[in-house]
Amino acid sequence: MQKVTDEKLMQQAKNGNLDVLKILFERHHLHVFNFLLKMCGDRMLSEDITQDVFYKVMKYRDTYNNGKFVSWLFTIARNCLNTHFRRGPKEHEPIETVAQKQLVNDEQQTDYSDLHLALQQLSASDRELIILNRFQEIKYNELAEIVGSTPGAVKTKISRALQKLKTIYFKNV
Amino acid sequence: MEKNHVKTLLPDYLDNTLSESEKNKVAAHIASCASCKNALTELSTLLNHIKDEPLVAASEQLRTNFFEQLETEKQNSSKVVSLDNRTDKKTKNWTPFLLKIAASIALLFVGYFFGQQQQVNRLDKEIAQLNHETLALKQTAVLSLIGNKSASKRIQGVQYIEELSAPNEAIVAAIADRMLHDENTNVRRTAVEVLSEFTVSESVKNSFIQALQTEQDPGIQITIIHLLGKIQEKNAIAPMQQMLDKENTKSYVKEELKSIISTII
Repeated sequence: MQKVTDEKLMQQAKNGNLDVLKILFERHHLHVFNFLLKMCGDRMLSEDITQDVFYKVMKYRDTYNNGKFVSWLFTIARNCLNTHFRRGPKEHEPIETVAQKQLVNDEQQTDYSDLHLALQQLSASDRELIILNRFQEIKYNELAEIVGSTPGAVKTKISRALQKLKTIYFKNV
Repeated sequence: MEKNHVKTLLPDYLDNTLSESEKNKVAAHIASCASCKNALTELSTLLNHIKDEPLVAASEQLRTNFFEQLETEKQNSSKVVSLDNRTDKKTKNWTPFLLKIAASIALLFVGYFFGQQQQVNRLDKEIAQLNHETLALKQTAVLSLIGNKSASKRIQGVQYIEELSAPNEAIVAAIADRMLHDENTNVRRTAVEVLSEFTVSESVKNSFIQALQTEQDPGIQITIIHLLGKIQEKNAIAPMQQMLDKENTKSYVKEELKSIISTII
Protein backbone atom coordinates (compact mmCIF):
# COMPACT_ATOMS: atom_id res chain seq x y z
CA MET A 1 0.00 0.00 0.00
CA GLN A 2 1.38 3.35 -0.97
CA LYS A 3 2.01 5.71 1.87
CA VAL A 4 -0.10 8.83 1.77
CA THR A 5 2.17 11.86 1.77
CA ASP A 6 2.38 14.18 4.75
CA GLU A 7 1.12 16.97 2.57
CA LYS A 8 -2.03 15.08 1.56
CA LEU A 9 -2.70 14.14 5.15
CA MET A 10 -2.26 17.71 6.31
CA GLN A 11 -4.60 18.82 3.56
CA GLN A 12 -7.21 16.43 4.93
CA ALA A 13 -6.68 17.74 8.44
CA LYS A 14 -7.17 21.23 7.12
CA ASN A 15 -10.47 20.11 5.60
CA GLY A 16 -11.65 18.92 9.00
CA ASN A 17 -10.46 15.30 9.23
CA LEU A 18 -8.57 15.72 12.48
CA ASP A 19 -7.88 12.01 12.90
CA VAL A 20 -5.15 12.07 10.26
CA LEU A 21 -3.14 14.27 12.63
CA LYS A 22 -2.58 11.09 14.63
CA ILE A 23 -0.76 9.60 11.66
CA LEU A 24 1.33 12.74 11.27
CA PHE A 25 2.05 12.69 14.98
CA GLU A 26 3.25 9.09 14.79
CA ARG A 27 5.43 9.85 11.82
CA HIS A 28 7.09 12.96 13.13
CA HIS A 29 6.84 13.46 16.85
CA LEU A 30 10.06 11.57 17.59
CA HIS A 31 11.96 13.66 15.07
CA VAL A 32 10.65 16.87 16.50
CA PHE A 33 11.40 15.66 19.99
CA ASN A 34 14.94 14.63 19.09
CA PHE A 35 15.58 17.88 17.29
CA LEU A 36 14.50 19.80 20.36
CA LEU A 37 16.42 17.52 22.66
CA LYS A 38 19.61 18.04 20.69
CA MET A 39 18.95 21.74 20.60
CA CYS A 40 18.29 22.29 24.30
CA GLY A 41 19.48 19.08 25.91
CA ASP A 42 16.55 19.09 28.30
CA ARG A 43 14.30 16.09 28.06
CA MET A 44 11.31 17.51 29.93
CA LEU A 45 11.48 20.80 28.13
CA SER A 46 11.77 19.01 24.78
CA GLU A 47 8.68 16.99 25.54
CA ASP A 48 6.75 20.08 26.57
CA ILE A 49 7.74 21.90 23.43
CA THR A 50 6.97 18.87 21.24
CA GLN A 51 3.54 18.84 22.81
CA ASP A 52 3.17 22.50 22.02
CA VAL A 53 4.35 22.00 18.43
CA PHE A 54 1.70 19.38 17.67
CA TYR A 55 -0.94 21.39 19.47
CA LYS A 56 -0.10 24.28 17.17
CA VAL A 57 -0.18 22.02 14.10
CA MET A 58 -3.69 21.06 15.11
CA LYS A 59 -4.81 24.53 16.13
CA TYR A 60 -3.35 26.41 13.19
CA ARG A 61 -4.04 23.71 10.57
CA ASP A 62 -5.87 26.33 8.50
CA THR A 63 -2.65 28.30 8.05
CA TYR A 64 -0.87 25.36 6.45
CA ASN A 65 -0.01 26.65 2.98
CA ASN A 66 0.25 23.25 1.22
CA GLY A 67 4.05 23.48 1.16
CA LYS A 68 6.39 20.75 2.38
CA PHE A 69 4.87 19.53 5.63
CA VAL A 70 8.21 18.85 7.33
CA SER A 71 9.35 22.39 6.62
CA TRP A 72 6.20 23.76 8.15
CA LEU A 73 6.48 21.42 11.13
CA PHE A 74 10.08 22.39 11.90
CA THR A 75 9.35 26.05 11.38
CA ILE A 76 6.78 25.72 14.13
CA ALA A 77 9.19 23.70 16.27
CA ARG A 78 11.91 26.34 15.85
CA ASN A 79 9.50 29.14 16.70
CA CYS A 80 8.26 27.30 19.77
CA LEU A 81 11.80 26.80 20.95
CA ASN A 82 12.74 30.41 20.31
CA THR A 83 9.57 31.65 22.00
CA HIS A 84 10.38 29.50 24.98
CA PHE A 85 13.83 30.98 25.38
CA ARG A 86 12.72 34.48 24.56
CA ARG A 87 9.70 34.49 26.85
CA GLY A 88 11.41 34.68 30.22
CA PRO A 89 14.99 35.85 30.05
CA LYS A 90 15.05 35.73 33.83
CA GLU A 91 13.49 32.33 34.13
CA HIS A 92 15.42 30.90 31.25
CA GLU A 93 18.99 31.60 30.43
CA PRO A 94 20.00 31.88 26.78
CA ILE A 95 20.04 28.64 24.88
CA GLU A 96 23.84 28.58 24.74
CA THR A 97 24.29 28.71 28.48
CA VAL A 98 21.47 26.26 29.13
CA ALA A 99 23.04 23.83 26.73
CA GLN A 100 26.41 24.15 28.37
CA LYS A 101 24.93 23.77 31.81
CA GLN A 102 22.97 20.74 30.77
CA LEU A 103 26.13 19.28 29.38
CA VAL A 104 27.96 19.74 32.67
CA ASN A 105 25.03 18.45 34.71
CA ASP A 106 24.48 15.38 32.65
CA GLU A 107 28.09 14.51 32.04
CA GLN A 108 28.19 11.94 34.80
CA GLN A 109 25.06 10.22 33.63
CA THR A 110 26.60 9.45 30.21
CA ASP A 111 23.07 9.51 29.01
CA TYR A 112 24.10 11.40 25.92
CA SER A 113 26.14 10.13 23.04
CA ASP A 114 29.53 11.57 22.10
CA LEU A 115 27.94 13.01 19.05
CA HIS A 116 25.31 14.73 21.14
CA LEU A 117 27.96 16.20 23.39
CA ALA A 118 30.02 17.32 20.42
CA LEU A 119 26.96 19.01 18.96
CA GLN A 120 26.42 20.98 22.15
CA GLN A 121 29.75 22.71 21.57
CA LEU A 122 28.60 24.21 18.31
CA SER A 123 26.79 27.50 18.13
CA ALA A 124 23.00 27.19 18.28
CA SER A 125 22.55 28.15 14.64
CA ASP A 126 25.24 25.72 13.43
CA ARG A 127 23.81 22.98 15.62
CA GLU A 128 20.33 23.67 14.31
CA LEU A 129 21.44 23.45 10.70
CA ILE A 130 23.33 20.21 11.22
CA ILE A 131 20.52 18.58 13.14
CA LEU A 132 17.93 19.57 10.57
CA ASN A 133 20.08 18.74 7.57
CA ARG A 134 21.90 15.67 8.78
CA PHE A 135 19.65 14.15 11.41
CA GLN A 136 16.28 15.11 9.98
CA GLU A 137 17.53 14.93 6.39
CA ILE A 138 15.91 18.14 5.35
CA LYS A 139 17.12 19.41 1.99
CA TYR A 140 18.88 22.75 1.49
CA ASN A 141 15.87 24.33 -0.23
CA GLU A 142 13.48 23.52 2.58
CA LEU A 143 16.05 24.33 5.21
CA ALA A 144 16.53 27.75 3.68
CA GLU A 145 12.79 28.20 3.95
CA ILE A 146 12.75 27.20 7.61
CA VAL A 147 15.62 29.43 8.74
CA GLY A 148 14.82 32.22 6.33
CA SER A 149 17.91 32.10 4.16
CA THR A 150 18.97 31.05 0.68
CA PRO A 151 19.84 27.43 -0.26
CA GLY A 152 23.37 28.49 -1.24
CA ALA A 153 24.08 30.23 2.06
CA VAL A 154 22.61 27.31 3.98
CA LYS A 155 24.78 24.87 2.06
CA THR A 156 27.94 26.80 2.81
CA LYS A 157 27.02 27.21 6.46
CA ILE A 158 26.32 23.51 6.87
CA SER A 159 29.56 22.59 5.20
CA ARG A 160 31.53 24.75 7.61
CA ALA A 161 29.51 23.59 10.61
CA LEU A 162 30.24 20.01 9.69
CA GLN A 163 33.95 20.72 9.60
CA LYS A 164 33.72 22.29 13.06
CA LEU A 165 31.74 19.35 14.39
CA LYS A 166 34.19 16.92 12.85
CA THR A 167 37.07 18.65 14.59
CA ILE A 168 35.32 18.59 17.96
CA TYR A 169 34.10 15.06 17.54
CA PHE A 170 37.43 13.52 16.60
CA LYS A 171 39.22 15.48 19.29
CA ASN A 172 37.07 13.81 21.94
CA VAL A 173 37.01 10.34 20.52
CA MET B 1 42.72 27.60 -1.69
CA GLU B 2 41.93 24.63 -3.78
CA LYS B 3 41.90 22.40 -0.71
CA ASN B 4 39.33 24.56 1.02
CA HIS B 5 37.26 24.59 -2.10
CA VAL B 6 37.19 20.83 -2.21
CA LYS B 7 36.50 20.50 1.52
CA THR B 8 33.27 22.47 1.23
CA LEU B 9 32.18 20.10 -1.49
CA LEU B 10 32.85 16.98 0.59
CA PRO B 11 29.44 16.65 2.27
CA ASP B 12 27.71 16.79 -1.09
CA TYR B 13 30.34 14.47 -2.52
CA LEU B 14 29.43 11.91 0.13
CA ASP B 15 25.73 12.52 -0.42
CA ASN B 16 26.36 11.98 -4.12
CA THR B 17 24.50 15.19 -4.98
CA LEU B 18 27.30 16.80 -7.00
CA SER B 19 27.26 17.16 -10.75
CA GLU B 20 29.39 14.76 -12.78
CA SER B 21 32.17 17.27 -13.46
CA GLU B 22 32.35 18.41 -9.82
CA LYS B 23 32.45 14.80 -8.66
CA ASN B 24 35.35 14.07 -10.99
CA LYS B 25 37.15 17.16 -9.78
CA VAL B 26 36.78 16.17 -6.10
CA ALA B 27 37.83 12.59 -6.80
CA ALA B 28 40.91 13.78 -8.69
CA HIS B 29 41.81 16.16 -5.86
CA ILE B 30 41.41 13.57 -3.13
CA ALA B 31 43.67 11.18 -4.98
CA SER B 32 46.46 13.72 -4.86
CA CYS B 33 45.78 15.43 -1.49
CA ALA B 34 46.26 13.46 1.74
CA SER B 35 44.72 16.18 3.89
CA CYS B 36 41.54 16.22 1.89
CA LYS B 37 41.45 12.45 1.80
CA ASN B 38 41.70 12.39 5.58
CA ALA B 39 39.01 15.00 5.87
CA LEU B 40 36.79 12.92 3.65
CA THR B 41 37.30 9.82 5.79
CA GLU B 42 36.57 11.71 8.97
CA LEU B 43 33.52 13.33 7.53
CA SER B 44 32.29 9.99 6.26
CA THR B 45 32.69 8.52 9.74
CA LEU B 46 30.93 11.46 11.33
CA LEU B 47 28.04 11.30 8.92
CA ASN B 48 27.74 7.57 9.48
CA HIS B 49 27.69 8.13 13.22
CA ILE B 50 25.02 10.76 12.76
CA LYS B 51 23.04 8.31 10.67
CA ASP B 52 23.42 5.65 13.33
CA GLU B 53 22.56 7.97 16.18
CA PRO B 54 19.51 6.37 17.74
CA LEU B 55 16.39 8.42 18.21
CA VAL B 56 15.68 9.11 21.83
CA ALA B 57 12.22 7.86 22.70
CA ALA B 58 9.73 10.34 24.08
CA SER B 59 7.47 9.46 26.96
CA GLU B 60 4.10 7.88 26.27
CA GLN B 61 2.54 10.88 27.99
CA LEU B 62 3.30 12.96 24.91
CA ARG B 63 1.08 10.81 22.71
CA THR B 64 -1.68 10.54 25.30
CA ASN B 65 -1.76 14.29 25.79
CA PHE B 66 -1.83 14.99 22.09
CA PHE B 67 -4.66 12.55 21.46
CA GLU B 68 -6.60 14.15 24.29
CA GLN B 69 -6.04 17.58 22.81
CA LEU B 70 -7.17 16.21 19.49
CA GLU B 71 -10.43 14.89 20.96
CA THR B 72 -11.12 18.23 22.63
CA GLU B 73 -10.40 20.03 19.39
CA LYS B 74 -12.70 17.65 17.51
CA GLN B 75 -15.52 18.45 19.89
CA ASN B 76 -14.82 22.16 19.68
CA SER B 77 -14.64 22.13 15.92
CA SER B 78 -17.82 20.05 15.71
CA LYS B 79 -19.42 22.76 17.82
CA VAL B 80 -18.07 25.28 15.39
CA VAL B 81 -19.48 23.25 12.54
CA SER B 82 -22.88 23.16 14.17
CA LEU B 83 -22.70 26.92 14.63
CA ASP B 84 -21.78 27.24 10.98
CA ASN B 85 -24.77 25.10 10.12
CA ARG B 86 -26.93 27.37 12.14
CA THR B 87 -25.74 30.42 10.27
CA ASP B 88 -26.26 28.46 7.07
CA LYS B 89 -29.77 27.73 8.17
CA LYS B 90 -30.24 31.37 8.89
CA THR B 91 -29.42 32.32 5.36
CA LYS B 92 -31.46 29.44 4.01
CA ASN B 93 -34.34 30.46 6.27
CA TRP B 94 -34.68 33.78 4.55
CA THR B 95 -37.53 32.53 2.37
CA PRO B 96 -39.72 31.25 5.23
CA PHE B 97 -38.86 34.42 7.09
CA LEU B 98 -40.06 36.50 4.15
CA LEU B 99 -43.13 34.29 3.93
CA LYS B 100 -43.81 35.03 7.57
CA ILE B 101 -43.63 38.74 6.86
CA ALA B 102 -45.88 38.32 3.83
CA ALA B 103 -48.33 36.29 5.91
CA SER B 104 -48.45 38.94 8.61
CA ILE B 105 -49.01 41.67 6.02
CA ALA B 106 -51.74 39.54 4.42
CA LEU B 107 -53.31 39.04 7.85
CA LEU B 108 -53.19 42.77 8.43
CA PHE B 109 -55.00 43.43 5.15
CA VAL B 110 -57.54 40.67 5.69
CA GLY B 111 -58.18 42.02 9.15
CA TYR B 112 -58.53 45.53 7.83
CA PHE B 113 -60.95 44.56 5.06
CA PHE B 114 -62.92 42.28 7.33
CA GLY B 115 -63.25 45.07 9.84
CA GLN B 116 -64.25 47.47 7.08
CA GLN B 117 -66.82 44.96 5.80
CA GLN B 118 -68.21 44.59 9.29
CA GLN B 119 -68.38 48.35 9.57
CA VAL B 120 -70.20 48.60 6.22
CA ASN B 121 -72.59 45.83 7.24
CA ARG B 122 -73.31 47.59 10.48
CA LEU B 123 -73.76 50.90 8.68
CA ASP B 124 -76.06 49.23 6.19
CA LYS B 125 -78.07 47.79 9.03
CA GLU B 126 -78.17 51.15 10.73
CA ILE B 127 -79.21 52.86 7.51
CA ALA B 128 -81.91 50.24 6.94
CA GLN B 129 -83.07 50.73 10.49
CA LEU B 130 -83.08 54.49 10.04
CA ASN B 131 -84.89 54.18 6.71
CA HIS B 132 -87.42 51.97 8.36
CA GLU B 133 -87.82 54.47 11.15
CA THR B 134 -88.20 57.40 8.77
CA LEU B 135 -90.74 55.40 6.75
CA ALA B 136 -92.74 54.75 9.88
CA LEU B 137 -92.38 58.41 10.79
CA LYS B 138 -93.52 59.49 7.33
CA GLN B 139 -96.49 57.15 7.46
CA THR B 140 -97.43 58.52 10.84
CA ALA B 141 -97.00 62.00 9.40
CA VAL B 142 -99.20 61.15 6.40
CA LEU B 143 -101.88 59.70 8.62
CA SER B 144 -101.83 62.58 11.08
CA LEU B 145 -101.75 65.19 8.30
CA ILE B 146 -104.66 63.50 6.54
CA GLY B 147 -106.62 63.78 9.77
CA ASN B 148 -105.83 67.48 10.13
CA LYS B 149 -108.58 70.09 10.17
CA SER B 150 -106.85 72.36 7.69
CA ALA B 151 -107.51 71.42 4.05
CA SER B 152 -104.03 72.50 2.96
CA LYS B 153 -102.47 70.25 5.59
CA ARG B 154 -104.63 67.38 4.33
CA ILE B 155 -103.44 68.01 0.73
CA GLN B 156 -99.90 68.08 2.03
CA GLY B 157 -100.52 64.76 3.77
CA VAL B 158 -102.02 63.16 0.67
CA GLN B 159 -99.11 64.39 -1.48
CA TYR B 160 -96.71 63.14 1.11
CA ILE B 161 -97.49 59.60 0.00
CA GLU B 162 -95.24 60.20 -3.03
CA GLU B 163 -92.32 60.37 -0.59
CA LEU B 164 -93.09 56.86 0.55
CA SER B 165 -91.48 54.32 -1.78
CA ALA B 166 -93.87 51.52 -0.72
CA PRO B 167 -96.85 52.84 1.19
CA ASN B 168 -98.80 50.20 3.10
CA GLU B 169 -102.45 49.35 2.69
CA ALA B 170 -103.51 51.48 5.65
CA ILE B 171 -102.07 54.61 4.00
CA VAL B 172 -103.65 53.85 0.65
CA ALA B 173 -106.97 53.12 2.37
CA ALA B 174 -106.71 56.39 4.29
CA ILE B 175 -106.11 58.34 1.07
CA ALA B 176 -108.95 56.49 -0.70
CA ASP B 177 -111.14 57.50 2.24
CA ARG B 178 -110.05 61.12 1.69
CA MET B 179 -110.92 60.82 -2.00
CA LEU B 180 -114.40 59.57 -1.18
CA HIS B 181 -115.33 61.58 1.85
CA ASP B 182 -113.26 64.75 2.11
CA GLU B 183 -115.39 67.88 2.11
CA ASN B 184 -112.74 69.85 0.26
CA THR B 185 -112.67 69.42 -3.56
CA ASN B 186 -108.94 70.09 -3.77
CA VAL B 187 -108.17 67.41 -1.23
CA ARG B 188 -110.29 64.92 -3.17
CA ARG B 189 -108.65 65.90 -6.47
CA THR B 190 -105.14 65.52 -5.03
CA ALA B 191 -106.15 62.14 -3.60
CA VAL B 192 -107.34 61.02 -7.07
CA GLU B 193 -104.07 62.17 -8.64
CA VAL B 194 -102.03 60.40 -5.99
CA LEU B 195 -104.05 57.21 -6.19
CA SER B 196 -103.70 57.10 -9.98
CA GLU B 197 -100.23 55.68 -9.22
CA PHE B 198 -101.73 52.71 -7.41
CA THR B 199 -104.37 51.50 -9.91
CA VAL B 200 -102.93 48.00 -9.76
CA SER B 201 -104.46 47.66 -6.29
CA GLU B 202 -107.95 46.12 -6.38
CA SER B 203 -109.17 48.24 -3.45
CA VAL B 204 -107.98 51.42 -5.20
CA LYS B 205 -109.95 50.43 -8.35
CA ASN B 206 -113.02 49.78 -6.25
CA SER B 207 -112.55 53.13 -4.53
CA PHE B 208 -112.47 54.83 -7.96
CA ILE B 209 -115.70 53.08 -9.03
CA GLN B 210 -117.31 54.03 -5.73
CA ALA B 211 -116.09 57.63 -6.16
CA LEU B 212 -117.67 57.69 -9.60
CA GLN B 213 -121.03 57.28 -7.96
CA THR B 214 -120.53 59.73 -5.10
CA GLU B 215 -118.35 62.42 -6.68
CA GLN B 216 -120.20 65.59 -7.59
CA ASP B 217 -117.33 67.75 -8.92
CA PRO B 218 -117.32 67.45 -12.71
CA GLY B 219 -113.51 68.02 -12.94
CA ILE B 220 -112.82 65.13 -10.60
CA GLN B 221 -115.47 63.03 -12.34
CA ILE B 222 -113.72 63.52 -15.69
CA THR B 223 -110.31 62.69 -14.17
CA ILE B 224 -111.66 59.45 -12.67
CA ILE B 225 -113.42 58.53 -15.91
CA HIS B 226 -110.17 58.98 -17.85
CA LEU B 227 -108.25 56.96 -15.29
CA LEU B 228 -110.68 54.08 -15.42
CA GLY B 229 -110.65 54.23 -19.21
CA LYS B 230 -106.89 54.07 -19.20
CA ILE B 231 -106.79 50.94 -17.07
CA GLN B 232 -109.70 49.41 -19.08
CA GLU B 233 -111.71 48.73 -15.91
CA LYS B 234 -114.78 46.74 -17.06
CA ASN B 235 -116.46 46.93 -13.65
CA ALA B 236 -116.65 50.70 -14.14
CA ILE B 237 -119.01 50.47 -17.18
CA ALA B 238 -122.16 49.94 -15.10
CA PRO B 239 -121.64 52.96 -12.78
CA MET B 240 -120.69 55.01 -15.86
CA GLN B 241 -124.04 54.06 -17.53
CA GLN B 242 -125.77 55.13 -14.31
CA MET B 243 -123.99 58.49 -14.47
CA LEU B 244 -125.18 58.94 -18.04
CA ASP B 245 -128.71 58.36 -16.88
CA LYS B 246 -128.42 60.80 -13.98
CA GLU B 247 -130.03 64.19 -14.60
CA ASN B 248 -127.53 66.25 -12.62
CA THR B 249 -124.52 64.96 -14.54
CA LYS B 250 -122.98 67.78 -16.58
CA SER B 251 -123.37 67.45 -20.36
CA TYR B 252 -119.65 67.64 -21.05
CA VAL B 253 -119.10 64.95 -18.44
CA LYS B 254 -121.62 62.80 -20.30
CA GLU B 255 -119.68 63.41 -23.53
CA GLU B 256 -116.53 62.18 -21.83
CA LEU B 257 -118.40 59.18 -20.40
CA LYS B 258 -119.70 58.18 -23.83
CA SER B 259 -116.29 58.36 -25.46
CA ILE B 260 -114.59 56.44 -22.61
CA ILE B 261 -117.25 53.71 -22.43
CA SER B 262 -116.75 53.09 -26.13
CA THR B 263 -113.02 52.56 -25.56
CA ILE B 264 -113.54 50.02 -22.74
CA ILE B 265 -114.26 46.77 -24.44
